[in-house]
Amino acid sequence: MVLKIFFPKCCNTADSGLLVGRWIPGQDSAVVLAVIHYPFIPGQVKKYLTQMRSQTKVDLTVLGSWSMPKDGQEGMDSFLKDLSTIFPHSRWLQLSRESGKRAFTCRVVQENGKPAAKKDGDDNNDDDDDKDKIIFVHYDQRKVMLSQLHPVQEQKGSEEESTELRTMFQTVAQSEPLFFHDMYDEGPLKLTHWQSEGREASIIVELVKQASVPVCIVLTWLLSVWHWLCSFRIFHVWPVQFISSKLSTCVQTGYRADHFQTVFSTRKATTHMEFMRKANIFVSFLVDIALGLLLISWLYRENRISQLANTLVPAADHVAKELQELLEWLMGAPAGLKMNRALDQVLGRFFLYHIHLWISYIRLMSPFIEMILWYVGLTACLGLTFALSVLSDIVALLTFHIYCFYVYGARLYYLKIYGLSSLWRLFRGKKWNVLRQRVDSCSYDLDQLFIGTLLFTILLFLLPTTALYYLVFTLLRLVVVMFQGLIHLSVDFINSFPLFAMGLRLCRPYRVAEGVKFQVLSEEPGTPLHLRMEINPLKFSSVLQCYRTPTYSCYPKDSWVALCKKLFIGELVYPWRQKSTKTD
Amino acid sequence: MKSRRRRGDKQAAASCQPDAHPPAPHSPASLLPSGTARRSSQKKHSICMVSDFFYPNMGGVESHIYQLSQCLLERGHKVVIATHAYGDRRGVRYLTNGLKVYYLPLQVMYNQSTATSCFHSLPLLRCVFVREHITVVHAHSSFSAMAHDALFHAKTMGLNTVFTDHSLFGFADLSSVLTNKLLTVTLCDTNHIVCVSYTSKENTVLRAALNPDIVSVIPNAVDPTDFTPDPGSRDDSKITIVVVSRLVYRKGIDLLGGIIPELCAKHPDLCFLIGGEGPKRIVLEEVREKYQLHDRVRLLGALDHKDVRDVLVQGHIFLNTSLTEAFCMAIVEGACCGLQVVSTRVGGIPEVLPDELVTLCEPTVSSLCAGLESVISRQRSGSVPPPAAIHHQVQNLYTWRNIAERTEKVYDQACQQPVLTLPARLQRLRSHCGAVAGSIFSFMAVINFLFLLFLQWLHPVHLMDAAIDASGPDSCWRKSFKKGKSKDPHPD
Amino acid sequence: MAEEGPFTDISGKPISLECQNYTPFCREFTVSSPKVSLLKVMGYTCSVWLLAYAVFFLTENTTVLSSAIMVTLVGMILHIHFVKVDQETLLIIGSLGIQLSSLYASGRESTTFIEMSKIKDIVINEAIYMQSIIYYLCILIKDPSEPDGVASVVPLFQSSKPRLNCLVRVYKSCQEIIAQSR
Repeated sequence: MVLKIFFPKCCNTADSGLLVGRWIPGQDSAVVLAVIHYPFIPGQVKKYLTQMRSQTKVDLTVLGSWSMPKDGQEGMDSFLKDLSTIFPHSRWLQLSRESGKRAFTCRVVQENGKPAAKKDGDDNNDDDDDKDKIIFVHYDQRKVMLSQLHPVQEQKGSEEESTELRTMFQTVAQSEPLFFHDMYDEGPLKLTHWQSEGREASIIVELVKQASVPVCIVLTWLLSVWHWLCSFRIFHVWPVQFISSKLSTCVQTGYRADHFQTVFSTRKATTHMEFMRKANIFVSFLVDIALGLLLISWLYRENRISQLANTLVPAADHVAKELQELLEWLMGAPAGLKMNRALDQVLGRFFLYHIHLWISYIRLMSPFIEMILWYVGLTACLGLTFALSVLSDIVALLTFHIYCFYVYGARLYYLKIYGLSSLWRLFRGKKWNVLRQRVDSCSYDLDQLFIGTLLFTILLFLLPTTALYYLVFTLLRLVVVMFQGLIHLSVDFINSFPLFAMGLRLCRPYRVAEGVKFQVLSEEPGTPLHLRMEINPLKFSSVLQCYRTPTYSCYPKDSWVALCKKLFIGELVYPWRQKSTKTD
Repeated sequence: MKSRRRRGDKQAAASCQPDAHPPAPHSPASLLPSGTARRSSQKKHSICMVSDFFYPNMGGVESHIYQLSQCLLERGHKVVIATHAYGDRRGVRYLTNGLKVYYLPLQVMYNQSTATSCFHSLPLLRCVFVREHITVVHAHSSFSAMAHDALFHAKTMGLNTVFTDHSLFGFADLSSVLTNKLLTVTLCDTNHIVCVSYTSKENTVLRAALNPDIVSVIPNAVDPTDFTPDPGSRDDSKITIVVVSRLVYRKGIDLLGGIIPELCAKHPDLCFLIGGEGPKRIVLEEVREKYQLHDRVRLLGALDHKDVRDVLVQGHIFLNTSLTEAFCMAIVEGACCGLQVVSTRVGGIPEVLPDELVTLCEPTVSSLCAGLESVISRQRSGSVPPPAAIHHQVQNLYTWRNIAERTEKVYDQACQQPVLTLPARLQRLRSHCGAVAGSIFSFMAVINFLFLLFLQWLHPVHLMDAAIDASGPDSCWRKSFKKGKSKDPHPD
Repeated sequence: MAEEGPFTDISGKPISLECQNYTPFCREFTVSSPKVSLLKVMGYTCSVWLLAYAVFFLTENTTVLSSAIMVTLVGMILHIHFVKVDQETLLIIGSLGIQLSSLYASGRESTTFIEMSKIKDIVINEAIYMQSIIYYLCILIKDPSEPDGVASVVPLFQSSKPRLNCLVRVYKSCQEIIAQSR
């Protein structure tokens, strides 16, 4: 096996002393965390290590010695060699750096005296062989400590399953308390390791942290009030509940409340994923509000609201007119098709009456439209998502007649198709067996066959008329559905986009690590292999995949083929997903 | 699934071995010890078996290709198999003894048969033929579009071709007319054709307007060690009729649906055991429900090949109701398990078994009922020979070693024949297939040739890496198993 | 230590294999394919511009010309940034792992490191690629739940696609290192 030594970059130029670190169990590798400088008292070193061990839960040990040649310290080497007898160990590393050379040399001394001595003697003979079996991996202590290796493993106990690199990352991250020991502190021991530079700036962070607790408590209380309001019985009466589940504004409200509950829970986020989730939601909430305010500042200037209202009513009127013309066209001979005259007239009149109703309703509404718009526009201060949801709802309300037409057409068409398919089975002497979910053969009476065939013929000849109405209204409906789907998609995008994680990936790429990459450092003959370990950041696509906030997403529920099939047999299609399933 | 089958394959290969040594008088293959058999054919061929039908699909053609390839490998030839991709089984796989299978990504159109355009499969098949140094292309089954394509391309590339026809066809309906025309075209310049029975030979010669001299008859075989009788596992208090076949129209399942109620009404101690799956299953289910026969008619659904024997030995009588059949493997398997066999007298079935082992009837309900009645009464009176005796009689009739040796001779013969050059081929097509079809297909042959030239320019032969022979000369692959194993991404 | 051989990729273009031995258990293989040929770029650009000019001639709309320039520029940037790989490197370090990196023509580098404990083996495999059957080198990743199983396969030298003789050379020296570290 090859011995691997993970060595922090900051210790490269440290003075001679003791190496503190950890042997990774099960692997032939050691992680060096710090160097304790000479002079020290061995008893104090041991005490310090036990204290650190209890703080960090990492079994820190003295790995070996480090010698950096300097003027006036010629006798160090032999002294450091002798140290191996003071500290208990299974293997003792002797790293030394020679002046003028960039690479280190390393010597491994085994525990029990005799083989070690023998090995020491051998060392001179087959020097090359021994040195070739060691790899130095230089790592940046700060980046490794702060980075989070993906895919994230939450449970801490599974150290046996985790691989060597993961264990190494964990070790460095856990021994954070070790690095609080300041280089310039007066103390019995002097250490070299990574130093945090700006302690003073972190005071502000601490203050914010302290302040956030009461804020969270207040907000949680407000949330509980909101929930209490929501739990009134009036909201659970059937029509209210049904309507609120269909209005995207209400859905968005519930969704936002959910988010707040996650973010402002007084419990501290323990795991990485939980923290990232909170941060993502918080940042996207802030961005949402900012965008909403921007929208308001645009909307409430230069009398834009009344302009909007003045265009909206004629537009709705115009749509109704166009529909009326379309119906009149359908009632004649559309595109030269000859239809069943009686059925055509009945259907056409029915729909025309609807449009008449609709127009009078619009007329009734028109004086109030501007006021409504003014108040509704205020919701944008709750965020852009709310404004978009409201827009979606307004569109849904204004195109209610199209929806009605679509439903009537689809129901009629569905009935016809259903009847035709079952009569076609009768025609062939088959029947649908409901219990076994299959088609059985069946012998019918003459009367049944006669009636069935007659009905089949009638339905078949009436089908084109119904199908044409269905087709036209479905196309209209699909346009509306597509518009609404677009709005839903953008709302969903704002809600679920992991802004914080993306920012982290952009500005601090080492924080989200996918793995590592190695680089062979320029090598001098006769020294062990030196590698530089760098952190390989996560790809943007995987960041998106990993940290996307799960939403009640409103993508089309079916694949395109399923959608086409549904349209063909006349089942109703909706832009929104049935809310019961929460998807990631 | 795969591992299970591989275990089965190994058993089959191992069980081939003892079969050769005791010289049995009936089988010409067993007369020669394997050493002399190997010497008898001087030339070693590189054979590419092409068919749409191969494992994991199950059926007669599939097991024929597999067993034949195994025995040819044992005789020192190099064999690779090309078929289309089945689901996620695509790419290159190795089966027992280093049998290499190319699952080529070609579009499946209908009934596991690929769509044919005569040209689009040329690049891939050419790649297989070139990198494996193929000398003989052996196509199987006239239902397989890929087999026809491969023959067409192999002739364009100047390789020797052999075709095995596994099925019978009519002459009257539209699809038969079209298939027969296609067969005429593909077979008119094929070097040799193999049929599985004399009836099938007659049929093929008529359909494809062939010279009977280039058509040989080599039957299918069964592995007798896989189908041993076990009288202990059947229930002698009642009489069980076993049917094992795919439940499709060709297998006469509608006849079976007529037989079941009639016989069950007459004999209260009769029960049916039906293995297999297919679109006609609904017919049997309806019969079972209509006559309340749930306790007497058992439908087992799809069976694995290894489970067939365990089903067969549970019965007394094996019933085959096929409407058309070139060579019926099922009745040989049934007889090999020591069952009384009742079958329809269609196609090549009368040739398969000697008269004392099989009761032949006309393909009508009444005739089949009468046949079954007589066998039932014989069974009741105990005047039937014991299963072990029947097994003993059947076991040496058809063996794979025999088949492989005969096929080898076909290859020797095919290799001696010249492959027609393009002008000769065009002339043959026009003179042999009629003016219209001949002209169309000679045009296609020219296009195919030009396409081949284009491919040779685009992807020249010297840029293709020759395939490393995983089975090695004299199958040394088996000896150094580890090396080969590292080549297989999924060594099970 | 660099060794050059007359290697080609599967379509006959010359490639070079560079083999660097740092220590007996650490080797680096670099497969470099030829750079973007100026002639080809010129050809594509000219054809797009000629087409644009023809359209311009018919419609007399100047946006066609400017959009053609944009299309060629964007296409070239996308091509050298995401498609054209100049160099593929395989760094194998005994008992630590295998690192694959590919250097795109724009200088972008993408790297993956696979730890040795996850690697089952390196093999040469056959695959159907486009309309031909090729050999390629791949790493088999262990299935953590099943010790003998293979969870996934990572193909190597995916964009340069060397021929078998080159693969065999890399395969042999990789196997030496893997055998040592077991």
